[in-house]
Formats: sequence, structure tokens, C-alpha cells
Amino acid sequence: MAINVKVVDRPIEETSYVRATLSGMANTLKHLVDPHRVTTQYPEERETISRRWRGTHRMLTTEDGKAKCVACGLCPTVCPANCIKLVPGEDEQGNRYPLVFDIDEFRCIFCGYCQEVCPEEAIHLGRHYENAEFNREGFVYDLERLMAQTHPVTELWDPADPKGE
Amino acid sequence: MTAPRVNLTIEGRPVSVAPGTNLIEAAKQAGVLIPHYCYHPGLPVAGVCRMCLVEVEKFPKLAPACATAVAEGQVVHVHSEKAREARKGVLEMLLINHPLDCPICDQSGECELQDYTYQEGRADSRYREPKRFNPVEDFGGDVLYVPNRCILCTRCVRFMDDVAHDNVLNVSERGDRAFIGKFEGKDLTHEWAANVVDLCPVGALLSKDFLNKARAWELDRTASVCTGCSQGCNIIVETRDNVVMRYRPRSNEQVNDFFMCDHGRMSYRGLNRRDRIDVPSILGGKGYDAVDWDVALDGAARVLKGKRAYVVASPNLSNESLHLLSRLIKKTGGVGTFRIETGHEAPLPGVKDLSLRADRAANGTGAELMGFTRSNTPFAGIAAGDALIIADAEVKPEDLAAIGQASAVIVLSTSMPAGVTRAAVVLPVSTHAEEEGTFTNLRGRVQRFLQAKAAPGMARPTWFAVSDLLGALGESAQYFMASEVFASLAASNAGFAGLSYDTVGLRGLPIAGEPAGAGR
Repeated sequence: MAINVKVVDRPIEETSYVRATLSGMANTLKHLVDPHRVTTQYPEERETISRRWRGTHRMLTTEDGKAKCVACGLCPTVCPANCIKLVPGEDEQGNRYPLVFDIDEFRCIFCGYCQEVCPEEAIHLGRHYENAEFNREGFVYDLERLMAQTHPVTELWDPADPKGE
Repeated sequence: MTAPRVNLTIEGRPVSVAPGTNLIEAAKQAGVLIPHYCYHPGLPVAGVCRMCLVEVEKFPKLAPACATAVAEGQVVHVHSEKAREARKGVLEMLLINHPLDCPICDQSGECELQDYTYQEGRADSRYREPKRFNPVEDFGGDVLYVPNRCILCTRCVRFMDDVAHDNVLNVSERGDRAFIGKFEGKDLTHEWAANVVDLCPVGALLSKDFLNKARAWELDRTASVCTGCSQGCNIIVETRDNVVMRYRPRSNEQVNDFFMCDHGRMSYRGLNRRDRIDVPSILGGKGYDAVDWDVALDGAARVLKGKRAYVVASPNLSNESLHLLSRLIKKTGGVGTFRIETGHEAPLPGVKDLSLRADRAANGTGAELMGFTRSNTPFAGIAAGDALIIADAEVKPEDLAAIGQASAVIVLSTSMPAGVTRAAVVLPVSTHAEEEGTFTNLRGRVQRFLQAKAAPGMARPTWFAVSDLLGALGESAQYFMASEVFASLAASNAGFAGLSYDTVGLRGLPIAGEPAGAGR
């Protein structure tokens, strides 16, 4: 049984595509000459990112080039994603330091708890977002790589507003 | 006639205790923790830390709960304004010279100073002068002393003087210069000295062995029994990521009070061996073939068929495993022997009947009760045609000639015995940290231990493997839990009659016909 479809007969002015096409072309033409542009020409141009941007980690070092980390074990404890692997050890002077400090940046949820909990202000999130790698293993950052990062570190709160802390 | 009792009220809770009890112990019974540092139930009372000050009604001033005996009708306030203020003051004073190095301190996470400061200490310090500094000192033995962290509770001094009876430690200097010192020419090398590490409420005394290895909150703790000697000290096995990190004593006034010896403490290392057998295997034409358990058990049953089973057992096997092995021996008309390594005795004089025993194995008593004979040459009795079963027993080079007499060898072991190359069947079994079971100590006390970590690969508890082997030999011996094997043991062995896992509990019970057992 056929369905009865109501067919409306409209005038040609309404059904023609010519008018719509012309109005579209007019819009395109307008943007071609309009000086207001919203596209950023990445990678030649970069947006400035917030000081509280939370990107991949960085381990700060002391003046003699050693990691500030004392392997206290608070960051792997507080980490909600379980992405930090830490094995503590002892150096020649009997100081505690991390033998192994691996962060799996794929697992990391960039919450910033590790930075907040660190008593030595050693581990920091970074204001950095270019993290492409050719394989998955490349996203497990070891201590050497974390120390070699040079990007600026995240501020978890606005220093001008101590209440934020 | 009932013993006299004293009734008092602590924090509004009525409690009835024996006369002469101090307020800390009475409060424990009432379910109230009175913060304290220098007091320890295993040591004489000193009253030096002033942390346990409590308010007792009708007393003119605060009383130290450790040195105040209960009295009829006393009303004690532990958390009153006055008592809290006093404790806050004590904490502030202790923290004057205490470094803020919790991140690198091994005690962090199990530190009483940390706990109480979080609970009721000041958030900041009013002290503006530089902190006192003393360098770290090696006390000898396994103990490291960090004087900066010391709060001078003198628990270690009292332990060495009054429990170990070896005057090594003292409080040197006075006032804020005071520190724990060693007497001239003496070292902390007493065989029970490492207990001072457990006794230390802060991180001043550290174990060199455990130094920087793990954080307290990462460790999983399991109740167990030490296999260092036949004393059977109750312990806690602490593991992280399936690796045993350390042993710590578990209090049991019937056996080891609060202590364990250094020999036992270090015996955890054997549990982390890397050369464990993890698959059953059968000797084929080209060496050992890894096979499934069923195949290996069938192979073992074929080897045993018609032969006398000569079982050399490890004295560290559980009662359950030894019981099933003794059934296997009975079935085949065989013999069971074991050998115990011996060493010197090292008693802890302050505790009655507590010593590092000469027999350096946990379950020699159990093996003897199960009909195994002790021998220094356990392999010597092998007759031609015997099937030798090495049940985790140690093989020494001089035993190899005797082992050659056996027509076939079945190895039922955690790691391959040295020098045994032609075992017909190799079955992997678990260590005592990887299974549940019981040991019988030298005073005939049956004590349970629990599973602390996973066994490697396909390894099974010895009793499980032997139960399956008995099944393969045509006996109906299907057990799926260690408690079922223990029930069978209790039913067949008069010594264990009436015992079960529930009644033995975690504190142990003596076997029938024995007095209350070791301890005071």
C-alpha cells in the first residue's frame, strides 16, 4: 500500500539553489577581504598557555646537577593513576635518592597531585604540550629524561592569591 | 575464688582491672589509647618522656599514666583540655631539635612522633634558633643511630640493660646535648640487639638491612612464624610487590613476648631466592621436560609403584605436609628422616624460656611427632631399590654417594638440591611464606602461619602435591585446604587431637600432654 505523500508545489524562486549558492559565495568573499582572523598559524605561531597549564612532567635539579628527589615515596602513593614507579636507593654519601623513577605519561591524568605533595619541590608538571612519540615506550619517561626537560613548570595556584593554596 | 579487681572510669568508660595495673594498660582495656613514648609493656617503666600525662580527678596535678597504678573509683580524663595542652607542650619540646626529614626517614609512616604530632601537635614551631646537629653513628650489628631524630625515651637503653642484660647503651651528656651513646669499646652486637630498632618510637635507630628499602605504608603485613630456629617466634612478614622486605616480631607472651633475634630477622632472605623451581618436570632423553602437574604426578606414581619410599624431609615443612608425607611412607612401608642444622644457643635473659635455639629449623618437633627420625646422615639408610623423595631437604656434597644408591629420585622442592642431577620427577613446591600451615615448636606449641605472598609459577604447597600423589597411588586423599589436612592430622595423631585451625588461632596452642608451652 502506497503512502500518501503530500507534494507541495513551490515557485521556482524558492526551490532554486542559485540564490543560496550566491549568498554563500558572498560570505566567503567577505571573509577573504576581512582582516579579522581567528586561526593561529601553528607551528609558526603559538598561543600563550596558562601558567597553570598541566602538561608532561619535569624533575628539577640541584646546582650540582642531581635530581632534587629524595625518593620519599609520596608521589607514587598519592598518584590516583598509579603511573609513577619509584625504587629508592642510597648514593655514595649515604643520601637517599631514586634508583628508578619512571612516569608513564600515558597513564598520567595530569592532576598535579605529585607536584603538590612533593616535599622537596622536585617533581613538577610542565607548561608543555608537544609530546609526540614514534612508539608507546617513549611515553614512559625515566629520571634522566625528566631531568633533561627544559620547559617552564606549572604553577598549581596563583602566587598572588595565597588563598588559592 | 576470683582475683581482686579494681574498678575505675577512663574517659567515661567503666573498666575493671587487676590491682597494680598502670593507667596505660587499664586504658587499653577500656579501648582508649594514651599517647606515650618511653613506656613499653616489655620494658621497665621509666617515666621520662612525659607524654602520657593524664588528668586524674582529685589529683593536684597531671599524672604520668605509665607510672600511676589504678585505684578504686578513680576517674581519668585522657583527652581533657589540661591533658591535651600538656601533651601539646611535650610535643613542641620534642620537635625543637627534631629534624623535618620525614621524607627521607625510614620510620615515616610508622612513627609515633609523626602520628601524635598530626593528631594533637602544634602546626608550627615557635623555636627560631638553629637545630642541634650530631652526625649519624654506626652502632655495630644491624643498627644505625641518627641522634638528631632521637627523643631520648631510653627504650633502647632499658632493653639492652634489663632484657638483654648487656650494658652497651647509655644516655651520654645532659640537657639538650644528651644523646644515646655506647660504652667505651662496646658495640651493639648482641644477638637480640636489632629489637631496639622496633622499640624505637621514632627513626633514631634504624636497621641497616632495611635502610631506604621501602616505605611503611607500602608494605603488606601477614601473621607468620619464624623458621630461624625451633623457638617458633611469632612474626609479621612484611612484603612489597611479592617480595619479602623484612620480618618483625608479633607479640605473644607465651613464646617470644615482643622480641625476635637477629638470626631470625635475617632469615627472610631465603624467601627471595631467584633460583626457584617453577614448573613440574620429568627427566626425558634430553634432560628435563617441563610438563603439567597431572603428567608429573603420574610419573611420580609410576616411579613409586612397588618401591619403598625413602623420604628425606626438610624440618621447615609444615605439620600438614609432614603428615601427608608420613601417610605416603606408611603406604609404601618406607622410612622418613630429616636433618637439622645446629648452631650456638643465644638466650634473651630478660624473658623466660626465650632463646635462639641450637636447632635452626622450625618444625623438628613436628617431624618427630609424625614419625620421622632425626639423623645427621639422613641419606645413609637408603637401600638399593628404594625410591628417594627429597622433600625440600638440603643435600650436602657428602650425601651424594648415598643418594646414588636409590633406584629413583623424586625431588619435591623449592629450589633444585645441589648435586642432584638425575631426578626422575621434579615437583615445585612453595615456601612457608607462600602457603598456610602450622609448625610445632620445641615446647610442642602448634602455631599457625598464613600466606604472605604468591608462589612462583606452578609451585604448590607440599601438602597439596603429596595429597595428589597419594591420589595417583590410589588412595582417597583429596584435600583442598590446609585446614582439612590439619583436621585429618588431628583425627589420626593423638598429639594433635582436639586441635583445629579455629582453636589454634594466631597465638598457638600446646599439643596434648605438654605443659602450657614455651614462654613465661
